[in-house]
Amino acid sequence: MILVSVFTRAGTHVLFTIGPFDATTEGVDFAGQTLVRLFAISTSIGLFGLTTEPRSFVLDLERRGLSPRFAFVALATLEAVPAMVERASIIGSAQRARGLDTEGSLRARLRGVLPLVGPVILSSLTEVEERSLALEVRAFGRPGHRHLLWRLPDSTAQLIVRTGLFLALIAAIAGRITGTFPRLP
Amino acid sequence: MLQLSGVSYRYAGYSNEVLHDIDLRLDDGEIVGLIGPNEAGKSTLCLVASGLAPASIGGSLRGSLTLDGVPATGLATHELAERVVVGFQNPNTQRSGIAATVFEEIALGPMNLGLPVDETVERTREAVARLRLGELIRRDPQRLSGGQAQLVGIASLLAMQPRHVILDEPTAQLDPAGTRLVGEALRSLAGSGTSLLIAEHKTDLLDGLCSRILAIDSGRIVLDGPTATVFDDPRLAALGVEPPARARLVRAFRDRAIEVSVVEDALAGAAS
Repeated sequence: MILVSVFTRAGTHVLFTIGPFDATTEGVDFAGQTLVRLFAISTSIGLFGLTTEPRSFVLDLERRGLSPRFAFVALATLEAVPAMVERASIIGSAQRARGLDTEGSLRARLRGVLPLVGPVILSSLTEVEERSLALEVRAFGRPGHRHLLWRLPDSTAQLIVRTGLFLALIAAIAGRITGTFPRLP
Repeated sequence: MLQLSGVSYRYAGYSNEVLHDIDLRLDDGEIVGLIGPNEAGKSTLCLVASGLAPASIGGSLRGSLTLDGVPATGLATHELAERVVVGFQNPNTQRSGIAATVFEEIALGPMNLGLPVDETVERTREAVARLRLGELIRRDPQRLSGGQAQLVGIASLLAMQPRHVILDEPTAQLDPAGTRLVGEALRSLAGSGTSLLIAEHKTDLLDGLCSRILAIDSGRIVLDGPTATVFDDPRLAALGVEPPARARLVRAFRDRAIEVSVVEDALAGAAS
């Protein structure tokens, strides 16, 4: 995407030419800004993932008013991944014990995966009904507020940093609206 | 009191009924055992007695279920949960999948009831103590053995402190010590006025726990009476149900014209 931006962005000042493509100053400028944005987005997502435990995040959102059902769906989805991996491992072992070849060449591995997919998916589906019943038995569908046992520690330093970042976000939006910050060409 | 009157039930999408004209009454503090061969309708009866069938899973019900005099028809599932709970035999499907620790898993039910934190914690601690799960409370619920998970599942139900508890093979994955532990916890629960219906293949557990036994076959109750009477009934063999060791021993002594009271005294002595 960066290369496409450098060579296809229309501009007046050509830096160099490769075949039919001209690299322009405007193209390099646009590519640079795009690169910085992508870096900022991916870094912030990565930082969030590395520093925030998903369960704590969702439960704190619930404490701040998020619907318990939404919180459950989000958490159950996250928890379902390792559970599926574990289930696939158990079913894989069971199939290997009955002679299924899941190792060796790529072709053999692909052939070995197919008999695992059906049991993994079907067993997950059959458990869904009983799991949802077990939740209903524990009054999960009850409307109204729940008094959560958890309260995440929220230090003064974190509060100050969060407020600072929020103000910076407001300033950035205001700067863009008022023209203080330049727009992309 | 939990009462089923003239209940027949058919699963959604099926043309045949799997329960036929069931009459069942569970008095407060009573423990009733439910026995029968596989596919006799024990699990279905558990679902119907808990109100989940048809309220949650659909299907067609004839007859009535009343909980402490209140008709279950029309009650929302969370209202049912405040009165009656049901535990299933597979502990893996009992887990919420969202709790990080065993303590949180057990606390989920009381928390869902909207109880204050203090009461939720108190109920959870009580359930933990009943099933002696103190050493597990910080463990990840997904990293438990089958037996431990089954105990946690039962504790999760006890923490709800319902008036009626229905358990479908609650000790299927438990060793003898775990089975005894569950038996003690359920006996103590009944002592506080909770009524229990327990579907089990382990007749030795039911023998020491229940005051009454129901035997079900092909969706019909075929035997209903005091525990000793039902376990001594020769028709049990036809149902594929093995009587408890005590009943078999008594029968063997009786068949050999040996004084039965000798056995009963010996068993009473061993139990004490």
